[in-house]
Amino acid sequence: MDGNDVALTGVSMRFGDFTAVHPTDLTIGPGEFFSILGPSGCGKTTILRMISGFLDPSSGDIAIGGRSMAGIGPNRRPTALIFQNLALFPLMTVWENVAFGLEARGVALAERKRRADELLALVALDGQGGKKPTELSGGQRQRVAVARALAVEPAVLLLDEPLSALDLKLRQHMRAELKDIQRRTGVTFIYITHDQGEALTMSDRIAVMNAGRVEQVGTGDDIYDTPASPFVATFVGEQNMFQGRVASVSGGTAVVDTPLGPLHGVARGGLAAGDQALVFVRPERVGLVEADDGEAVNRVDAEVERRDLEGSFVNLFLRAGEQRISVHLTNAGTGRDVVSGRRRIGFRPTDAVVMGVGEVARE
Amino acid sequence: MNELVRTYGRGLTSVFVLLTAAWVLGLIVVPQLRMIERAFIVDQRGDEAALVATEIERAYARVFAIDQDLLRAADGAAAPPAPSPFTPSPTAPSPFAPSPSAGGSAGGSGDPGRIAGLEAEKAEARARIVELEAREAEIQAADRTTYALGNFTGMSRIHAWIFVSTLFYALCVTVLSFLACYPVAYAVATARRGERVALLMLGLVIPYAINELLRIFSWVMILEKQGILNGVLDALGLIDMAAGEGVRFVASNGAVFVVMVYAYILFMVFPIYNTIETLDRNQIEAARDLGASAWRIHWRVVLPHAKPGIAVGAVMTFMLSAGSIAAPEIVGRGLHPDWFSQVIYRRFFESSNWNQGSAYALVLLVACVVFVLVVMKLFRVGIRDIAK
Repeated sequence: MDGNDVALTGVSMRFGDFTAVHPTDLTIGPGEFFSILGPSGCGKTTILRMISGFLDPSSGDIAIGGRSMAGIGPNRRPTALIFQNLALFPLMTVWENVAFGLEARGVALAERKRRADELLALVALDGQGGKKPTELSGGQRQRVAVARALAVEPAVLLLDEPLSALDLKLRQHMRAELKDIQRRTGVTFIYITHDQGEALTMSDRIAVMNAGRVEQVGTGDDIYDTPASPFVATFVGEQNMFQGRVASVSGGTAVVDTPLGPLHGVARGGLAAGDQALVFVRPERVGLVEADDGEAVNRVDAEVERRDLEGSFVNLFLRAGEQRISVHLTNAGTGRDVVSGRRRIGFRPTDAVVMGVGEVARE
Repeated sequence: MNELVRTYGRGLTSVFVLLTAAWVLGLIVVPQLRMIERAFIVDQRGDEAALVATEIERAYARVFAIDQDLLRAADGAAAPPAPSPFTPSPTAPSPFAPSPSAGGSAGGSGDPGRIAGLEAEKAEARARIVELEAREAEIQAADRTTYALGNFTGMSRIHAWIFVSTLFYALCVTVLSFLACYPVAYAVATARRGERVALLMLGLVIPYAINELLRIFSWVMILEKQGILNGVLDALGLIDMAAGEGVRFVASNGAVFVVMVYAYILFMVFPIYNTIETLDRNQIEAARDLGASAWRIHWRVVLPHAKPGIAVGAVMTFMLSAGSIAAPEIVGRGLHPDWFSQVIYRRFFESSNWNQGSAYALVLLVACVVFVLVVMKLFRVGIRDIAK
């Protein structure tokens, strides 16, 4: 099995007056694990259905392996789709499910059985072929769906939030397993999710979508550390957000006047003095500092309101005037981080991002 | 039961229970038992018994005719002749009035002598009835009831053949019905918009607000030799009705099948529709995505899922068409192969042999039930699936 590249050129989708997907260009490399991340209703499933052939784009073209898919139905595309609810055939046995695509291609019974056994071994379900899907656990059903999709040797595997029905532990386990299967088969994976954890852990690259538009495409680190828009900054991971007005921009660093004083950060996009701006800094990049550490940049005095123990992290929630600030500290043990009262916090200018105002993700 | 008492109280619960018991006993158990009993009683009908029965019938008819004459005589005496459609006038004898009795003219005069003559004649007929009925009772008392299989074993070869054919015809109707209804049910169940579903539902349900007989008659109008279908063929220039050409569609089994399929379409569409509606649409898409053709999607995914609904529809259509009397009688007009239901009808109301009619009806019932159970076994559908 070899993955193919997928290229979307100016692809859009309109349903009546509603534009589900604005014209979009995306190029997904062969054998890449590519995630499309966004809140529900952002158009990510629409893109998936256009790639799989269940929807025809209103404009633009989709090419797989360099071949335009216009006018080619889902049953003749080199793609296979894994549905959110898996859509296993409940009246067929597990091996019949896995071999269904081969049956549709007219493969003989003996060969179908052999291939099904092979694929079931690939997903660690040896010997379970005779059962009905309802007799399997959630994680096993998940793997049957993967095997069924891989049976038709697709060049591109499309996954529509397939892990959302599983509990946390199993989900984390399946993430590793999917990634492993992808590596072993070399098939291009396009993975749709609203769960940033899934996207960040598995993907080679991620596209973040909002309201029918792709806001940013990049590796997990790109997305996390250098978000392209306030939406991406707030949708992926947690953020402290400060509002203010740009005082000056020089050498890629912007200084923003906020009610808590001037804050320094990396300027993103075209910013000029006087613009309304947002300063973002991740809670784990903020630390507690001594009041007399001699540093004056990005220092804020705040009142500790609450401490949540999360395990490996300890989350502190502070308040400075109207501004709430959260700080994630690694758990140093024996409650050394139990703090209260008025404390000074600080962060490096390189850890903060300054952007013009824009839409932010809802909590 | 306790649940019912808790919900509705003692009073209402006992009303419910009594009504249900009355229904089960009075309308199901007792008539069935009576029918079964009669089916096993062979009506010997010796010569004399038959003669007496016929005589009694005649005497009753005579009394009825005299009563009519008396009424008319009294009527003519009381009221002056008026041209009303409800009172037969002497100048224009109504076709509904019985033919004048031999005793006198049909004159509407209040002739007292004539009335007296009629009264005497009536009394004589009544006396004869009493006498005959006594004789009948005597005959019946002498002929002690014994249970036997004569009503079943006495079935003629022709009737047996009609019986087997009827099961085959009913099977044809069921299969045709399924072929017609499955695409409709699938289209309705998978229609995206609520409006389309509503429209299709109305299209199917509203015709069923019309009485079944009217629907059958409208089919007769379509299939008649001078009917609409031939009219359309004539208009298309395929036949020339003026020259007496035209196909007589009615009075053939084909016509009966068509009418029955139409009559029972709802019983087939709705169970199938209900099961297909519960099918996860993603399964259809998954099958398509995996490269299955439309035919394979139906064969492997939709049909297996809809099997219980198909079974319910098939059972209902089969039972209804095997027992249908109106469609073969009206569409067939006795010019097409008989259905067994018609034979039963004639046993009851033309041969006046209720016992044999009961036996035939019982045979049909048992055969249908056995047939249905066998088919369900063949298609591996359980009663439980159907109950769902």
